[in-house]
Amino acid sequence: MDSSARITLENVSYMFGKGALQKQVLFDINTQIEGGEIVILTGPSGSGKTTLLTLIGALRSAQKGSVNVLGQELLNASEKTLIKVRRQIGYIFQSHNLLDSLTIHQNVQMALQLNNVKGQDARNRITSVLQRVGLAEYEHKFPGQLSGGQKQRAGIARALVNRPQIVLADEPTASLDRKSGRDVVELIQDLAREDGSAVILVTHDNRILDVADRILHLEDGKMKSLSEVVSEGTSRMLNLLEKHDPDSANYLATFSFALARVAYVDGKVTDSERDEMRRILHEVARLETAEVEFIMEMSMMQKRAKAGLNDRVVTPALDKDRAEHFLKSLYAIAQADGITSGEEIVEIEAIATEFGLTRNEDSESAPDLKQP
Amino acid sequence: MFGSIPLGWLQLKAQKLRLVAAIMGITFAVILIFVQLEFRQALFVSAVRYHEAMDYDLAMLSPKTDFLVSSKQFARTRLYQVQGVSGVESATAVYMRLVSWRNPVDPSNARNILAIGFDPSEPGFERLLSAEQIEAIKIPDQVIFDRRGRDEYGPVRELLDAGQPVSAEINDRRVTIDSMYTVGTSFGLDGGVITSDLNFLRILPTRKKSAIDFGLIKLEPGQDAEEVQARIRQAIPKDVRVLTRQEFMGAEIQYWNKTTPIGYIFAFGAVMGLIVGLIIVYQILFADVQDHMREYATLKAMGYTHGYLRNVVLQQAIVLAVLGFLPGMGVAQFVFTKGADATRLPLEMSAASALSVFALTVAMCAGSGMMALRKLRAVDPAEVF
Repeated sequence: MDSSARITLENVSYMFGKGALQKQVLFDINTQIEGGEIVILTGPSGSGKTTLLTLIGALRSAQKGSVNVLGQELLNASEKTLIKVRRQIGYIFQSHNLLDSLTIHQNVQMALQLNNVKGQDARNRITSVLQRVGLAEYEHKFPGQLSGGQKQRAGIARALVNRPQIVLADEPTASLDRKSGRDVVELIQDLAREDGSAVILVTHDNRILDVADRILHLEDGKMKSLSEVVSEGTSRMLNLLEKHDPDSANYLATFSFALARVAYVDGKVTDSERDEMRRILHEVARLETAEVEFIMEMSMMQKRAKAGLNDRVVTPALDKDRAEHFLKSLYAIAQADGITSGEEIVEIEAIATEFGLTRNEDSESAPDLKQP
Repeated sequence: MFGSIPLGWLQLKAQKLRLVAAIMGITFAVILIFVQLEFRQALFVSAVRYHEAMDYDLAMLSPKTDFLVSSKQFARTRLYQVQGVSGVESATAVYMRLVSWRNPVDPSNARNILAIGFDPSEPGFERLLSAEQIEAIKIPDQVIFDRRGRDEYGPVRELLDAGQPVSAEINDRRVTIDSMYTVGTSFGLDGGVITSDLNFLRILPTRKKSAIDFGLIKLEPGQDAEEVQARIRQAIPKDVRVLTRQEFMGAEIQYWNKTTPIGYIFAFGAVMGLIVGLIIVYQILFADVQDHMREYATLKAMGYTHGYLRNVVLQQAIVLAVLGFLPGMGVAQFVFTKGADATRLPLEMSAASALSVFALTVAMCAGSGMMALRKLRAVDPAEVF
């Protein structure tokens, strides 16, 4: 493991409760997070993402595996160690969690006070951090006098005033409208980049996923790959569409299929072409923005398949191993109805040729395909 | 860990209504404690007014005498015997009895008054009476009246101040009053008259001269009271008690404190005040901690220790103690001024009693704070996410 990593998790497991009521919420989590990296942690409710965040945040100590934060091992760590680590982390909470009886200035000061920053130095730092989050004029207001977005900014100022090496944010956009949510996330992104902090952001909000350098997905306490998550989510949504609005499903599928054939026939599309396509789909075909995006993405998927054909040497999508699995599975599918017809074999071989997947002489790709 | 932000105070201040309620509750408790303790103190101070005012080194009394006003008699010969003990300079016989006094203006109104008789040729009352007064009571049926007795005895004070001698009836015997002394009331008596032993026996013809209530023993200069006390105990039978001033007063206070329910009631009242205060402060602090659980959890998550939060709660307790004590002391002072006028009891707030009530208040608030702290242990920083 790289010792320069801010956070290193090795085989981390965590259980709630004791004895017969014990319930495991995290299973063998492994990951490593560097400074300057923004990691988004997603997953459904109860997936254990908040528990994982509290383990990294030294708010509880892990029971199994290794949680190394800023060089401190937190497995069965003492309260003293936990407190020491907490002081080096900036926390941004779901509902800002400002102290209502303190002004914004004093709220930020509470964080500075922990590191014994006092007097003029403290005042300067508070003023400058409040400027960074755009709350300079609200310094002496109470949280009750601020809007939701402003409160969250104040919370961010409090988290960042100590220039922490790690910033943990739990659903920072949950109580905000779309615009304020977006602003808040971009603010976190900018500030973290400037300070070189490692950021872990727990969220349900798909709209902010794009700020991430990396997305970690948890489900039932286990880490899942992004491809698995995307496939599952997409297929489920497509099924829903098929079930509730089959006409639209057909229309969109047809459109994307056609678009792939027409627009991507030469295999090369520039960004300006794509923007033009979006405009046409929107204005001529009268599709909503989201529907346009869907068609674009679906056609892009088909384009990507062809890209494998044009540039098969560098594309990692179909390396030797995967090509093997790919062909093997095609033969197996053909066999699924009991007989593999001649047409099927012809088609498979055509695809293999098209994608440049030649069967090895002594390949065992389809050893039992020969008809008896 | 102590920062410059007085978080406890700011949190209290943020909820003005609750703060006012808390201060009023504590003020109430403080008044209750003050009044009860001060009345208890007044009970003791007033109970030994005559013990203080009479001049003696050792007092002789019957073992059956519980307290001053209900004294039992013993043989005067015992006092004569004492005069033979070395170190004794003089021994004065004192007669005491509650008698019936008729209001000189409204004779149908009768009321008990303490009558004290002593031999004017012997010492013992120099602090109470002037030489002329001691001379005056040798005249038959002349008595001296306590100017600080209750008003129900009639306008004696006013008449005398106007230069008019007062004639009144005690136990159906007419007496003349033309001067006053100053002692005051207690829980056991409302007023008194002092006269000679002979006049005392005129008022109470059934009493024998040979049976006295108290003996006031003066020692020769330089004599140690306890040594002489020991010698007297050796010399005379055990059917009388001989006490030093301290013991004499201590026995009286002991009686009122322990044997009567009065001392207990006042002590109980003070404890009740303390408990009421304790509960009020606990309620307020508990509610405050409860309301701030999320904020405290946030602070813990940020890296604040349990000790810091404990100090926040204790800071609130101390602030409440101070803010509640000051108005409480003010109101108590007012109550004492009014009460002293109405009862003529010695109700005066001493610096020492103010200080001890303040200490009690702080202890009360800190104790409540400690109880509220148990709630604080439940603060889990992991709850904030």
